[in-house]
Amino acid sequence: MILFAHAGHWLVNLAYFVPVIGFLGWLGWTELRSRREKRAERRNAAVD
Amino acid sequence: MTEVFPVAHGIVGRSDLPIPEWLFGWAAAVVLVVSFVALAVLWPRPKLSRASFKPLPRLSRVLLSRPVDLLCGLIGVALLLLTVYAGFEGSQTATANFTPTFVYVIFWLGLVGLSVLFGNVFKAFNPWRACGRAVAWVARTAARAPMPAPLAYPERLGHWPAAAGIFLFAALELTASDGDTPQTVAIAALVYSLIQFVGMALYGVEEWTERGDGFSVYFALFARISPWSTRDGVIGLRVPLANLADFRPLAGTVPLLAVMIGSVTFDGAAEAPIWTGIAPDISDFLQTLGLSPEKALEITFLIGLIAAIAIVYGFYTLGVRGAQSVGGGFTTRELSRAFVASLVPIAFAYVAAHYFTLLLYQGQAILTLSDNPLGFLASNPLGEAGTDIFGTADRAIDYGVIGATSAWYWMVGFVVLGHVAALTLAHDKALMIYSDVKLAVRSQYWMLAVMVGFTSLALWLLSQANQ
Repeated sequence: MILFAHAGHWLVNLAYFVPVIGFLGWLGWTELRSRREKRAERRNAAVD
Repeated sequence: MTEVFPVAHGIVGRSDLPIPEWLFGWAAAVVLVVSFVALAVLWPRPKLSRASFKPLPRLSRVLLSRPVDLLCGLIGVALLLLTVYAGFEGSQTATANFTPTFVYVIFWLGLVGLSVLFGNVFKAFNPWRACGRAVAWVARTAARAPMPAPLAYPERLGHWPAAAGIFLFAALELTASDGDTPQTVAIAALVYSLIQFVGMALYGVEEWTERGDGFSVYFALFARISPWSTRDGVIGLRVPLANLADFRPLAGTVPLLAVMIGSVTFDGAAEAPIWTGIAPDISDFLQTLGLSPEKALEITFLIGLIAAIAIVYGFYTLGVRGAQSVGGGFTTRELSRAFVASLVPIAFAYVAAHYFTLLLYQGQAILTLSDNPLGFLASNPLGEAGTDIFGTADRAIDYGVIGATSAWYWMVGFVVLGHVAALTLAHDKALMIYSDVKLAVRSQYWMLAVMVGFTSLALWLLSQANQ
């Protein structure tokens, strides 16, 4: 409960790190997507 | 922990900012992303390390002449002697004595600014190098033969002694309960001097100074941001950052940069509620192990300092591993060393932003303290006489030299500029080492994440100074 009662304090602190969290999230997502694409390409090549 | 300088980390009252402080962090991140795109589009080939060198022979003849060299060395030695003498013989009130302000503000912070503006000025004033060269000259003259160093500097030692030196200095400043006591600073100066003399005696004056002397390495790294350079005994000009692009890292260079950034990070974070909340718990736990409250607090702060350095090191390594994952066949170690120079402008941004107001305000005190280095009052009940050498003993610090809002904009400016410089260096280096431009740009996505992370951290730390 204390965590939520003082949310205003740590949310402001968290706001500073939103850009880096967002950027790392985007990087991770693109990395996963490229791996998935490579896997699909390999699968298609095997079928052909 | 050291409470010498009450205005150390920013000034209170930035109420007239047009937007919340955290939005500056977002704006800085946008600037970095735009810079990254601009670099990817407009900077397709490496430029910095290929930047030309414009020699300045007339200036070199004056600045590198024997009398100037001798004079600078003598000034350096005299200041070291004054620091030690005032530390032992003067008042033990930190703010009244010349020694703490000179060491922690003028030397430690002021020389960083001078190095970035004018190049490696510390090399000329380095008191340990001056003494080492003087002793070497006497020995050579007496022996009438060259005196080579007894040992070759081990490659694996690299910048490790420098990293250890800077870490111990940061620990003295930030964790020792009496780190600001003039006598403690004087003892530290003597111990450091002794280590430098042993290092120079074993490995040679220049070899040790360039690799093992923590302060020499520290200021020389910042000096590489500047356009000033020396080649074959001639001073010249290059594009700013070009000297950093040529920098060859050694073993221990990455940890050294982590210490440089991590120590400032801890100094800022130590004022944050997140730290002030957990530090008493750690201290209480250490006291249950039998430590005195003072020792427990010192060790708590030491743990905090080490943790901050480890976080910086870990975050950089994470970025490097990410860059490695895009391909190119490099090991983590190779990439870590390749991009380490880009941490130097970040270290400068951290120092400049975090200590900007300290340097502006407490730096003024050196005028008064130079007038009366021992810090005794004229009406001292103990009988020690105060001095008024330059007639500035009554000069007060002018806190109106810069407003709170202006200071904030300056600090944000340092952070943004430092990180854009870091991004530029990393981009240029990537173009040098990767054969494929696309691969080089993709590797920099991760370095951009590192830069955005360090920017966010820097602005958060600045905001904590006013909590």
